[in-house]
Amino acid sequence: MIELRDVSKVYRRGDGTPVAAVQAVSLTIRGGEFVTIRGASGSGKSTVLNILGCLDTPTSGTYLLGGEDVSQYSDRQRSAIRNRRIGFVFQSFNLLPRTTAAENVEIPMVYGGGRVDRRKASAALERVGLGARADHFATELSGGEQQRVAIARALINDPALLLADEPTGNLDTTAGDSIMRLLTDLHREGRTIVLVTHDERVASFADRELLLRDGALASDRQLTGVTR
Amino acid sequence: MTLGRALRMALRTLGRDRLRAVFMMLGVTVGVASLTALASVGESTRQETMRRFKRMVGTFDTVIVRPGAGRTRGMPSLTTVEPTLKFEDARAIASEVANVRRVAEVQNAFDIDVKYREKTASPAVFGVSSNWTELRDDEVADGRGISDEDVRSLARVAVVGADVKAALFPDENPVGRTLRIADVPFQVVGVLAPRGAAPSGGSLDNLLLIPVSTASKRLFNRDFLTLLIAQLRDPERGDQAVTAIAALLRERHRLAPSAQDDFTITNPRAAMARVTEVGSTLSKVLKGVGLLATAVGGVVIMSLMLVAVSERRKEIGVRRSVGATKRDVLVQFLIEAATVSALGGVIGIVIGVGSSTIAAIAQQLPTGLVWTAIGGAAAVSVTVGVVFGLHPAWRASNVDPIAALRS
Repeated sequence: MIELRDVSKVYRRGDGTPVAAVQAVSLTIRGGEFVTIRGASGSGKSTVLNILGCLDTPTSGTYLLGGEDVSQYSDRQRSAIRNRRIGFVFQSFNLLPRTTAAENVEIPMVYGGGRVDRRKASAALERVGLGARADHFATELSGGEQQRVAIARALINDPALLLADEPTGNLDTTAGDSIMRLLTDLHREGRTIVLVTHDERVASFADRELLLRDGALASDRQLTGVTR
Repeated sequence: MTLGRALRMALRTLGRDRLRAVFMMLGVTVGVASLTALASVGESTRQETMRRFKRMVGTFDTVIVRPGAGRTRGMPSLTTVEPTLKFEDARAIASEVANVRRVAEVQNAFDIDVKYREKTASPAVFGVSSNWTELRDDEVADGRGISDEDVRSLARVAVVGADVKAALFPDENPVGRTLRIADVPFQVVGVLAPRGAAPSGGSLDNLLLIPVSTASKRLFNRDFLTLLIAQLRDPERGDQAVTAIAALLRERHRLAPSAQDDFTITNPRAAMARVTEVGSTLSKVLKGVGLLATAVGGVVIMSLMLVAVSERRKEIGVRRSVGATKRDVLVQFLIEAATVSALGGVIGIVIGVGSSTIAAIAQQLPTGLVWTAIGGAAAVSVTVGVVFGLHPAWRASNVDPIAALRS
């Protein structure tokens, strides 16, 4: 499903000196896998996730998504991929203020070309266990509930790939565990999940763990059955 | 993203922070309100000026010749004019200037005592040829006007203006009565319909018409005119008629080439054009002021939109992450700016048209609804939103979603 070949990302600092955030990373993630990317901060794990999510483009190398080389796609093409095939979950939830849970969940449909379907949004909220909170504003929800709304939003266009960047980073252990159980359920339904974290406990929910160090892939190991 | 959806989204976003929306609209509202109000007031003033002007001169297809070099202002009279314009000059103009259809001869004086029984009035007495009534666009309300036969026979007949009727004959029909003009008896044969006020504010009805021949030979004993009005066949070529009449009069008065004219010719059509031109220059200036205010409103929109862009970086990041293209974000912010500006414009139009209509009604002016100004104001307000929204929208579309989502 996902294949990175020698992908590098080089940023330029303010003074013009280049900094390599990701160096020649090659990896393959099959459809239906639950993978965590771990690493210290600055290891390049978020950059890899952003490249996988078509938010960022590699400086060099190739990114194949479902066999398609998307590394040189235009803004419009990458936007369409983000809209239909990828769902994002962030550490800080990123719900819009003064907007209800249902309205937040509807946003991806605005850019999908189809109708904005209220019932679809309700169903997605139902799926994450927040059917009763559809008309609540983000500020009226707990952190765990906000993250569930964000997951419902990520699921609304039924993407095959779910990308999560420290989804439990702003939550206490109970709320974090419940979010991880939800992600595990979604994985069981057949979705591919790539999750970035520095938390070993969170990483233990996955089948496979990639470790990044200084922008390069340091290890790649299967975890299946170890903790679950 | 469709336009309708973008519009709904913009309205919803604006509705979330109404106070900010009001501030954004304010400048455009004020600008557009003044723009439409000024245009409407300008238009009703112009209409009123034209109406009064027309009421004063009657028809526009004439040129007016007065004796003297134009140093005297206002209506000439026997006591103020030089005795240079003769009856023969009038006949010569009528027969020799091709563009002149006919000439009205006038010999008038102000403050003549007119008596009927014990009552006295002091109207202007106009000795006129029979075509005067028609050239002035006067309406005879009762009886008849001065006829050719009256002029030929030096008849002592008079047609009274509405003010004279009111002063001397408050309770009876003047037609058939005999009044005394400077102690000479005249029979009233007609009454003029009221004309109302002149542009200067004076009444146009405090007058009395008698045959010009009677005035000259039986009343005033003067052989010169105070005024003549030449009606043109082709009013479009009024300037040429003015030149031709001037040349003819200079020849008849034997003026040396270096000498000044001893007469003044005015062309009401040209004068009217000048009046309305002054009006339109003024309205251009006022329009400029309104546009300036609207532009200031645009700058307010731009700065508040720029603030909004930096406050809404996270929203932009979210939208980009779920599939919004840069263009989608650009359009969203552009439509927001255009919507708020257009709303401000609509409110401004309502205020502007409303206030100018109230002002016009209060001053008893015709209400000048200028559709071009209203349409123009609407177009201007949308354009202002788009133009001043362009920079913030461009900034919004270029927000880096990765940085925006991390914060």
